[in-house]
Amino acid sequence: MKIRAIRHVRGFDVARPISIGVMLGIMLPLVLLPLLSIFVYGTKKGLGTFWSALVAPEAIFALKLSMVTSFWATVFNVIFGLFAAYVLSRYDFWGRNAVIVTISLPTAIPTAVAGFALLLLWGPNALLGRLLNTQGVQLMFTPYAIILANIFVTFPLAFGVIKPVLDTMSRSMEEASATIGATRWQTFWHVTLPSLRGAIVGGALLTFARAVGEFGSTILVSGNLAERTQTAPLYIFAKFNEGQIEAANAIAIVLALLSFVIFSVLFFARDWLEFDSQDA
Amino acid sequence: MLGDHMWLTKNRTLILTLTVFSLLVGNACLPKPASQKGGGVTITVYGFSIMKESLEQAIYPAFAAKVKREHGFDVRFTSSFAGSETVTNQILQGVKAQVAILSIERDAQRLKDGGFVTSDWHQLPQKGIVNKTPFVILVRKGNPKGIHDLADLAKPGVKLIHPDPVSSGGAQWSILAIYGSELVKSEKQSGEPDRARALQLLQAVWHNVISTPGSGREARTQFESGYGDALITYELDALLMKQSNARADAEIIIPEATIFSEHPAVVVDRNVSAADKPVVDAFMQFLWSEDAQRAFVRFHFRSSISDALTQENKELATIKYPFTVDYFHGWDKAYPEVIEGVFRDQVQKGK
Repeated sequence: MKIRAIRHVRGFDVARPISIGVMLGIMLPLVLLPLLSIFVYGTKKGLGTFWSALVAPEAIFALKLSMVTSFWATVFNVIFGLFAAYVLSRYDFWGRNAVIVTISLPTAIPTAVAGFALLLLWGPNALLGRLLNTQGVQLMFTPYAIILANIFVTFPLAFGVIKPVLDTMSRSMEEASATIGATRWQTFWHVTLPSLRGAIVGGALLTFARAVGEFGSTILVSGNLAERTQTAPLYIFAKFNEGQIEAANAIAIVLALLSFVIFSVLFFARDWLEFDSQDA
Repeated sequence: MLGDHMWLTKNRTLILTLTVFSLLVGNACLPKPASQKGGGVTITVYGFSIMKESLEQAIYPAFAAKVKREHGFDVRFTSSFAGSETVTNQILQGVKAQVAILSIERDAQRLKDGGFVTSDWHQLPQKGIVNKTPFVILVRKGNPKGIHDLADLAKPGVKLIHPDPVSSGGAQWSILAIYGSELVKSEKQSGEPDRARALQLLQAVWHNVISTPGSGREARTQFESGYGDALITYELDALLMKQSNARADAEIIIPEATIFSEHPAVVVDRNVSAADKPVVDAFMQFLWSEDAQRAFVRFHFRSSISDALTQENKELATIKYPFTVDYFHGWDKAYPEVIEGVFRDQVQKGK
């Protein structure tokens, strides 16, 4: 680093402002301006309109439903992701690679297909749906369907963050722990888990952020009922279709800010967490 | 080995993050809608896209007030709006709609075929039709493309926004309007409806379509945000748009001959419990009451029970040669013959 810096002291490094400028120039129409237009249109009719759009009962409900369903999908996927990552990185077995590929599949499947697949499985005339129906239970078009859809589409995220860390983790600490007589569970709880906390927090935030924004599968499985099964992205879509651009953008701003906070935490906290874990 | 105490200190960030996370989620319980607090009955209504304003702003409050006044309990509504075909498919997949208000009778028939509607909506007042509205054209201010009738939409260079007949009932009405208007006009001229001429027009108009949104309302939103030169839509939605946005860059053009769409309301019997049935039935009857019909007219629909009521709204246009789906001998014939036989097979595939 230092050597390279010295090389440029003699003259002005033109590549620096140009490359930064080009990067920002590319980002401007693709990412920055679209984000900006959400803020501009959300507040165009004044902050009063923005605020009343925000505190409308339907909007509050939609935001809360999104938070709660994403929360439970995150809890499930982090626990399962951790478990699966542990199993797949510690044990070798026939079909192991097939399982790894299968876990990653939901990344590439269109979310609408995910929603449709859930409908086909849990629908009133479908395999599992018919079974539940006889018990008088219906999953689809309830908030539980939204959680199921969120679990499906964010399935690989936490796993994908945790597994590489587990793979590259030095085994010496675990082995040391075992030699001084710790049980497997003690080793996992006191040695393995603390080293993974950066990955766990990172995976959880990523999963949560992705689940909060989920649209394609939710619109199919939720029924899109205001104050029942309408999540924040569905609310935005409904308001946009009704031509209520301000109401749509007010909630879009909340979601944009939420992702901003999540990814800031991810960015600033992860290094620190992972640094901590080195000497744990 | 590190003690538990140190482990905790080391994990302050993790704990902090988890705390923030939990606070964010609150009690992590599924939220209860404001409308569910307290007793009373809740009616679940699924409607096609343009029903939203009149139902939510006028019909629901009026019916709730009437029940409260006459019977002393609360009725609440929860609803969802989308293209008519979309709504129908959702109900067929199992959403718990108790009342469906649809754009086209064909969708009511599909609910019946699926076993969700067991009662006969033809027994309701006006054979189940709650209201109607003619199909008109929206163009840009000053009418720069010179569009004065449906036939002008075929002019080269006109960019037309047209909802998708796969998901939208309005789109199917619009197709019947274009095709039928030419049949009606050729019949007035020569005494014989000219099917070849009507097909030609539909093909030429469809050639100008630049976007097919999922519902009538979605199409309007696209047009409103500046796309396209013209849009065929429900008269009431055109008027609602002008009313909600006085500066909207739009003018309404009334075609010489056009169709009146007729919108059926049905009870989705499978989702109505015996306990809810009296209230749901009372709501259905209320839809044809003078109060409700007057409210529809205020929202620019035309009443299905009385032309005198319709005339209370001075903004509604007069159509020279109006026709209805009966001109095609009902939806039973119009769907297979025009939507499938003409539009899907000869216009879309022949393109």
